[in-house]
Amino acid sequence: MAVYKRNYSAYAGTVTPVWTRVLVLARYAFEEAWSSKITVGLFIFCLLPCIISLLVIYLADNPIARALIGGRGPQTLAIDAKFFLKVQQTQSWLALVMAAWIAPRLITFDLADNALPILLSHPISRFGYVFGKFIALFGSLSLITWVPCLLLFVDQAYSSSQPWAMSHLQIAMGLLAGSVIWIAFLSVLGLALSSWVKWRAVATGVIFAAVFVPAGVGAIVSAVLRTKWGLLLNVPVMMSNLWQRLLGAPAPINERLSVPTLAIAAMLSLACLVCVGMLNKRIRAREVVRG
Amino acid sequence: MGVIDLDGVEVRLANRVVLNNLTGELHGQAIGLLGPNGAGKSTLINTLLGFHLPSKGKARVFGLDTHKDRAKIRGGIGFMPENDSFIGNMSGVRFVRYMAELAGLPSGVALERAHEALFYVGLGEVRYRKVNTYSLGMKQLVKLAQALAHGPKLLILDEPTNGLDPVARQRMIQLIKDIRKEGSVRLLISSHLLRDIDETCDEVLILKNGRIASLCNIEEERRSNRSFMELETVGATERFSVSIRGLGCECATFPGGRIKLVIPDHIEARDLYVIASEQGVQIRRMNQRRDSLEDIFLRAMDNDQGRTANGSL
Repeated sequence: MAVYKRNYSAYAGTVTPVWTRVLVLARYAFEEAWSSKITVGLFIFCLLPCIISLLVIYLADNPIARALIGGRGPQTLAIDAKFFLKVQQTQSWLALVMAAWIAPRLITFDLADNALPILLSHPISRFGYVFGKFIALFGSLSLITWVPCLLLFVDQAYSSSQPWAMSHLQIAMGLLAGSVIWIAFLSVLGLALSSWVKWRAVATGVIFAAVFVPAGVGAIVSAVLRTKWGLLLNVPVMMSNLWQRLLGAPAPINERLSVPTLAIAAMLSLACLVCVGMLNKRIRAREVVRG
Repeated sequence: MGVIDLDGVEVRLANRVVLNNLTGELHGQAIGLLGPNGAGKSTLINTLLGFHLPSKGKARVFGLDTHKDRAKIRGGIGFMPENDSFIGNMSGVRFVRYMAELAGLPSGVALERAHEALFYVGLGEVRYRKVNTYSLGMKQLVKLAQALAHGPKLLILDEPTNGLDPVARQRMIQLIKDIRKEGSVRLLISSHLLRDIDETCDEVLILKNGRIASLCNIEEERRSNRSFMELETVGATERFSVSIRGLGCECATFPGGRIKLVIPDHIEARDLYVIASEQGVQIRRMNQRRDSLEDIFLRAMDNDQGRTANGSL
C-alpha cells in the first residue's frame, strides 16, 4: 500500500516465528551500539594490539626478519602460550572498556524513556529482552576478543615452518574458553549495572568501579586478615589466573597471587547470579509496587 | 466468547488486593474502562497483558489465558501506555518499525506499515525526526501508531487523551472513532474522562476500589431511559397532570408548573401537546432527558458494594 493512503487497514500477512523476536532485539541493539562513532573508534583502537601481535608473529616466523632484528635462538620472539596469554589479557581489558561504553547504550535509552512497557507488551519475555541485549553486547565484544585471538592463532599455525597447530591446540581452546567466560561475565555485569543507572556516563563509570573497587577492598581484606582469599574480590587477578591455566602458560612466580580454579568459578557464578537478580528486579514493564 | 472474559479475577500487589473478584464478559466493539484514580484500571490492563498473574480466578482475551498464552495474546494486541513510553533517540519511523518487527512483521513489511501508520495518525511529515523532539501530542500519536502498525485484533489505549490540548484531543478521539468504524479492531479504552468514553465506546466497565461497580452497554442503557421527560407548563397544571396520568404516564408535579413524567412506549410527545391544547395549557419547555454516561457513572460510584448494572454478570 502506498504511504500516502491514510486509511487504517488490518494486517493479514505472514508473521515471523516467536523465537526470532529475540534476534530483532539483538539486531536493533547491535545497530544502536555501532551507530556511535566512538564505538567505531574504540573498535579500531582495540584492534591495534592485534595488529602489533600480527607483526610479531610475522617477525617470529620469518628467518630473514629475525636475522635483521638480531634474533639468535628460537626463544627470541617465541610464539607460545605466554605470548597468547599477553594478547588475551590485553584484548580482554580492552573489552572491559568497550563493554563499559556499549552496555549503557543498550539499556539506558530504554529505561530513560520508559520504553519497557511498550517493548514488553509485544510477544517478548523479560528473559528474551535481556537475552537479545546480551547477544548484541556479547557479539560486539567477540569482535575484539576471541575472534582476533583465534585469527592470530590461525595465522601462526599457517606461518609456522614446523607443524604447530595440533601441538598447541590447548592455546586455541583456552583463548576461546577464556574469552567467552570473560565477555559473558562482562555482558551480564554491564547490562545489570546499566539497568540500575539511567545516565550513560555514570553507568560507564559504575562498570569500571564494579571491576576495580572490589579489587581494592579485596587487597584490604587480604592485608588485614593475612589471607589470600581477598583475591576472590580481585577480578583482574582471578581472570589472569584463569586465563593462564586455560592456555597452559607458566604459573606466576608469586604463589600468593594464585587462587584455586574452583573458587574463581564459584565467585564468577555468584557475581553472575547477583547480576541476574538485579536485572530481574529492574527489567519490568511496570513500577514495582511496594507495601 | 467475549473479547475479554473475567472469571473471579483477583490481583494482589504487595499483599494488597488491587482487583477483587472481577467477573464478567466484555463483548463490545469499543469497551470503555472507567473509574476514579486507584480503581484498578491500569492493573486490569497489565493483567490482560500478562504482566500480573491473578492470585485467584482467570482472565481471558479472545478465549486465551492471559498468563499461559500471554505471548499469543500480546501478538494480537496493540498497547498504548498511559505515560511516556518510547525510545527517544530513534526516529519515529524506526521506532514504529522496531515495534512492528517485535510484534512479528517481517522487516520489509514492518517498514512499510510503519510509514502507513505514521501517515494515518498524522505524523507523516515528522516521521524522520527523533521521538524525543516530538511535542506531547505527537508522542501520544506515535504511541498510537506503534500500537496500530502490526494490525492488532485488540487495541488497548490507556488514557489516550492524557495531556492533550482540545484540538489534539479531538483529533485523537476522531482517530479512535475511525479505527472503531473500520471494524477489524476491538478497542479497550481506559480513561477517567467520561466524555472520551462517551464519544468512543459502546460498552463500559466501571471499576471502583478494585471491584466492578458497573458493566453495561451504554446504548442499551440510554434506550432504557429515553422515556423520562421533564415539562414546564403554564395554566391548569394539576388538571393536565391528571389527564396525562389517564394516558398511562407516571408523573409528579412540582411548584412552578413543572412536571416530571415517565411515558409508556405507545405514547408520543405529540399526544401531550394535544391534551395541553385541549385544556389550554402552555408547554413552555419539554426536555426528553437521556441517561448520560455521567449518570451511569455516578450511580455506580454511589453503590458502595459494587454491583452489576445489567444481567450479563
